[in-house]
Amino acid sequence: MNIRMRAFAQFGELFGTETTLEVSGPSTIPETLHRICEGSEEKRQALFDESGAIHPYIILVRNRVRVDRDELYVLRLGEGDELALLPPVAGG
Amino acid sequence: MITITTDPIDPAPAIDAARMPGTGAIVTFLGVVRDDGIDAMEIEAFEEVALADLREIAAAAAEKHQLNHVDIIHRIGRLFVGNPFCSSCAVRGIERRLFWAAKRSSSASRSAYPSGRRSSGKGRAPGWGRMRIPPPVPECAYTKSASHVK
Repeated sequence: MNIRMRAFAQFGELFGTETTLEVSGPSTIPETLHRICEGSEEKRQALFDESGAIHPYIILVRNRVRVDRDELYVLRLGEGDELALLPPVAGG
Repeated sequence: MITITTDPIDPAPAIDAARMPGTGAIVTFLGVVRDDGIDAMEIEAFEEVALADLREIAAAAAEKHQLNHVDIIHRIGRLFVGNPFCSSCAVRGIERRLFWAAKRSSSASRSAYPSGRRSSGKGRAPGWGRMRIPPPVPECAYTKSASHVK
């Protein structure tokens, strides 16, 4: 099954702005993100901290809806789902 | 009007449109790109999601501060120092607390909507530089990826 990945700003430069990820079955969001980081320490550090948790400041959007932190290990991505990665916004 | 645009922001039409019979005060807030050692910055947005968020922010501000109307305009694309990047226009029958409401609408929109910024220039990226959290990727890689535009 295929998951559509979208990435914005520097994440777009790192992961590609729009890609399709083939997975063997429904995957949690952390599992999916680990897949796209395979073979790249730079990518892994961009998304995960030293304990392996997704950086809390990363905005994740599944099928155009923001993902709450407590849903991270509950939601499963399947065929046709879209996951977007956004860096935090700062300034003022 | 709640909109995301690549066009330069002109708050004048929003102000004109806000002059309705019940209007007693109009406050606009204009955020501009500041020179924090940069020449330009690029702002991206996941527009479908960002627009929905902005509409929620405007509705919440209108309800909380009893506003007659709220406009939020956010620009995306490459913006140079001095360019306005966001504008909010708050309208109320009376002026009490209206400045605060306009500022809050704009600040909320900038902190809550899904977008990304990158900057180019001689110094650090303002977005990352002011964050109180570690940047997700090395700052230099991000800054170097953008062209020097001066």
